[in-house]
Amino acid sequence: MTNTKKLKEFINFPGLGDLALSGARPLFGVLLGLLAGAGLIALSGVNPLDAYKALLQGALGSPQSFSNVLVRASPLLLGGVGAAIGIKTGVWNIGTEGYMYAGAIAAGAVGLIPLPVPPIIHILLAFLAAMLFSGIWGLLAAYLRAYRGVNEVVTTIMMNYVAIYFVSWMVQEPQPMAEPGSFFPMSKMIAPTAKLPILMSGTSLHPGFIIGIAACILFFLVLRFTPFGFRTRMLGANPEAARYAGVNVKRQILFALLIGAVMGGVAGAFEIMGLKMRVYMDFVAGVGYEAVAVALLAGGNPLGVIASALFFSALKAGGATMSIQTGVGAPMTVVIEALCVIFVIAVGYGERKRLERLEKKGKEDEEVVQNGG
Amino acid sequence: MEADQIISWLQATLRWGGPLILVSIGEVFSERSGVINVGIEGIMLFGALTGVAISYFTGSVVWAVLVTILLGILLGSGFAYLTVSRRTNQVVTGLMVNLAALGGTNLLFALLPATRSERVTTFPVLFPESFHSIPVIGPVLFKQPVNTWIALILPFIAAWVLYRTTWGLNVRAVGDNPQAAATAGLRVVRLKYQAVILSGIFAALGGCALTLGEVGYFASGGMTAGRGFVVLAAVVVGGWDPVKIALACLVFGAADAAQLRMQTVGSDIPYQIFQMLPYLITVAALAGLVGRTKPPKTWGAPYDPADI
Amino acid sequence: MVKGDEFALRMEGITKRFPGVLANDRISLDCRKGEVLGLLGENGAGKTTLMNILYGLHQPDSGQIFINGESVKIESPAKAIQLGIGMVHQHFKLVEALTALENVILGLPSTRPPMLDLAPARTRLLTLCEEYGLRVDPSVEVWKMPVGQQQWLEILKALYRDAKLLVLDEPSSVLTPSEGEELFRAIRKLTQEGRSVIFISHKLGEVLDITDRITVIRDGHVVGTVPTKEATQRELARMMVGRPIMMGRKTRPVMTQKDPVLVMENVNANDDRGLPALKNFSLTIHAGEIVGVAGVDGNGQRELAECIVGLRKRTSGTIRVKGRVVDRVIDDPSFVGFIPEDRQKTGLVLDLRVSENLIIKDFADPPFTKRGVLQYDVIKKHARKLIGDYDIRTPSSEVQVRHLSGGNQQKVVVARELNAKPVLDIASQATRGLDLGAVEGVHDTLLSERNRGAAVLFISTELQEVMSLSDRIIVLFRGEVMGEVDGEGADVNTIGQMMLGHALEVAA
Repeated sequence: MTNTKKLKEFINFPGLGDLALSGARPLFGVLLGLLAGAGLIALSGVNPLDAYKALLQGALGSPQSFSNVLVRASPLLLGGVGAAIGIKTGVWNIGTEGYMYAGAIAAGAVGLIPLPVPPIIHILLAFLAAMLFSGIWGLLAAYLRAYRGVNEVVTTIMMNYVAIYFVSWMVQEPQPMAEPGSFFPMSKMIAPTAKLPILMSGTSLHPGFIIGIAACILFFLVLRFTPFGFRTRMLGANPEAARYAGVNVKRQILFALLIGAVMGGVAGAFEIMGLKMRVYMDFVAGVGYEAVAVALLAGGNPLGVIASALFFSALKAGGATMSIQTGVGAPMTVVIEALCVIFVIAVGYGERKRLERLEKKGKEDEEVVQNGG
Repeated sequence: MEADQIISWLQATLRWGGPLILVSIGEVFSERSGVINVGIEGIMLFGALTGVAISYFTGSVVWAVLVTILLGILLGSGFAYLTVSRRTNQVVTGLMVNLAALGGTNLLFALLPATRSERVTTFPVLFPESFHSIPVIGPVLFKQPVNTWIALILPFIAAWVLYRTTWGLNVRAVGDNPQAAATAGLRVVRLKYQAVILSGIFAALGGCALTLGEVGYFASGGMTAGRGFVVLAAVVVGGWDPVKIALACLVFGAADAAQLRMQTVGSDIPYQIFQMLPYLITVAALAGLVGRTKPPKTWGAPYDPADI
Repeated sequence: MVKGDEFALRMEGITKRFPGVLANDRISLDCRKGEVLGLLGENGAGKTTLMNILYGLHQPDSGQIFINGESVKIESPAKAIQLGIGMVHQHFKLVEALTALENVILGLPSTRPPMLDLAPARTRLLTLCEEYGLRVDPSVEVWKMPVGQQQWLEILKALYRDAKLLVLDEPSSVLTPSEGEELFRAIRKLTQEGRSVIFISHKLGEVLDITDRITVIRDGHVVGTVPTKEATQRELARMMVGRPIMMGRKTRPVMTQKDPVLVMENVNANDDRGLPALKNFSLTIHAGEIVGVAGVDGNGQRELAECIVGLRKRTSGTIRVKGRVVDRVIDDPSFVGFIPEDRQKTGLVLDLRVSENLIIKDFADPPFTKRGVLQYDVIKKHARKLIGDYDIRTPSSEVQVRHLSGGNQQKVVVARELNAKPVLDIASQATRGLDLGAVEGVHDTLLSERNRGAAVLFISTELQEVMSLSDRIIVLFRGEVMGEVDGEGADVNTIGQMMLGHALEVAA
């Protein structure tokens, strides 16, 4: 008896219960995705159990390998939580890839200036620049969606490509940021004062994942415990009721998209100052889209973003080991990622919406008839 | 610019614009039926690899095309099942198809080591050598492989199908008001499937044209380099009209050709401006700055047959 | 020759059940060849469900349909079309991006497959236009056409398919009087050719003008069928709305204080389609008074409520509540309390908890938010108090409102909206879909609101509850006030006539 009571309390605790309940469907989808991936691995002539074992070992086998997971998780956490806010508000912010480029180029630009300041100041300045620039970058699509009703999905995707080519332009000679005489266009190395500290020697573990997890928790708390979060949840669940409750719908949508942009910019800045140390074209290579997938897998729940970001990064980090030990190509992990998301949306999302509609329809018919006379 | 430079630029415009047009032919029907197939980038990638692989193994472009079409049907059906029957979010589904394709083609490509370096049989040039020496149009038009010619003719056929056939009318009706279409006795879900599968076929063929049209090899990873998204852009800019879309594809192809040329030759104008152009024009078009372009009314929205 | 042959259509014992309710209860009706049958009933009486069954959009649970005496099973609109049934839905089923001609031939096999054969189709359409006096330009896209022409197009679409039985669902609601005349001429021509027409309406006058027989439906069953020649407006009105009153009139104390609270002057507003929904509407409600708004659904009630709350922009006129001009949503719970028509859409956020739904207007104010943080213990305490005060049946304050029954969902709205003692209460179809006990509860709550001195606007399509609860009653028809009567001793027939569009006359 006490067990059921505890379970009830747990379910009723703000946030956690929703997470546990909404977690069931994504988990089922992920399971199906892993199964389908196992099928593909078997097709390529490798025992899937061996492959997954190698993958797991590659991700969690040693502190070094786990640090690799955390490094890869950083942009997924930061970008993912930004996209998640969009999902919670009811808008599809697919622009994370572009925001990462925008943030990276701004952080890189500030980072490579040799400033006579302590590292902490230099780093903060670079982050500030990244957030500012990616925010401005996101403003166009956000404004168009909020105030002009232009489909945000297409504009954010288009702006991703604009961002990629903008970065490519900025790191090419004769632009001042470009590394002179390099074979491949890239920016100069950032100044030592702008480099983030490494947390574990012998690895490239930078503090990005800590900030990422902190951001997820922060946004979870914001959604749960602030009026801003309340407005967001109301708007995402029922725009009409939100309007009636006095919410400025347009402004709220603008903010949601801008948060996605700024967080994407932070993600890009971490990649530059913690890992790559310079900016070049294609350095993101789809991570922004993966961050959107992470947010989707989490159903927009910031705490769920932590779980799904770690899952994705573990897959990718373990992929190399899997490839070496069993000969299954590392790109298999990308395929598994995509399959997981596809199964999650095919199993969970559509079905839930359909049930909601059926439920609503039944009620509407009922009301119409009872009103008759 | 020298005359021969202009000629080679025009030639490259058609070479790069052609595959875009091919892909757009299918996408316009899909979008007219209300389904945005964002997965065309990924399907192109698969098509590009399949074309090269089959051509390598059989030495026949006919087989390559046939298998590519089969692949397009398969992937198109899968996309239709997810977005039409399961009513998943079209954009997210498309992005995942692209992700899976990026990984999948990398995997498959690794299994075919022989195609990495060798050139395979490519699409033939339709006109004999004697035509190639005709000034300007010789090198620009007659030297083009057969797929370019098909790409130049197809938009007109597509427009004919869309505006002059019963099926085209049905597709237009379904994308604008599926409930009304269903009331008129049309089978909405089936029509959407057909349109989406068509987009799969042409995306695969477009990818195939990318590899077998000229270069004859597959470059792992960035083979399509966002060209699927350029097509999405062209469809918006072309106002969902096959011929106008083809023109947009040619303009974008010209920008592509120009930037490729500038990358090799070097230029004062940054070539990236030309790379950004298609996307910027699209955002402007959607914002209502360039002309007035109105998407089909149920563009991107799922259709629930239970709604009357 | 079978006996059924004189009938173009017979429907026998049609029953359709939706989850929990009976939409059509053993409905039987018939329509002779060359006859106009009027189908009369209030919105929600079950007319539309019945016609959707006839058109293959719904399947009946039991009952039979005979076309020309033959039993048929209509499993899709395509089958209905094939059987010669044409339907003009109240909400048009036209593809706006296509031209009139393309809409007409949509779904028909071509004479030259796979191509469209537009030229002969165009000729045929123009001939039909000519024949029936319904003018439409074949090459104009539907979205560019005025509503009246869209109506013609729907009718032409059915005629192009050679419909023998044409169903017109509220056809005149979008037509001007002269267009209405054209419609009637066309209908007469149709019946001369031996076609049959089912004319669905809730407007008595025109039904009496155009039909041969009238079948009246109420609460999902047939009340009766009368030949039009023998019918009178009064009798039909009684069949439609005049149920014996079950609930007595609520007794109430006389209020002495009479300050005006809501003052509306010459308000005009449009509906979602941009058509005028409120026309020069003026109304004053005083403190301690319930003003009931009677009227058939869709005559501007929804727009009226939304204007007062600030959800809908008025095109002209002024609205003041306690002297303050309303031009946007005012999220002060002590100002206006609103119980909306569609509680699940406007009143509640189904995915949020009960406690959260109880504060959706003032969540950002103390005591619910302090120093920018939502105070969940205060919110919960607040919720527990309201759950007790308003007798909301819920396992806890922390379950999603989605899981509550309709009556308890309504109580959540009522509790939130009325708890802060607003100066003005607006209840719009507040009892729709509730069981009798819950209805009674809402009525008692509104009455006690009045007695504490609130001004109450009570909008309902249920005439009896309007009569039972209101101090004054106004009747809305097409966005205009048809008349005003005192709640005490109001006559059901007088109000019924006004609901059907007859302005109040002294002798009515």
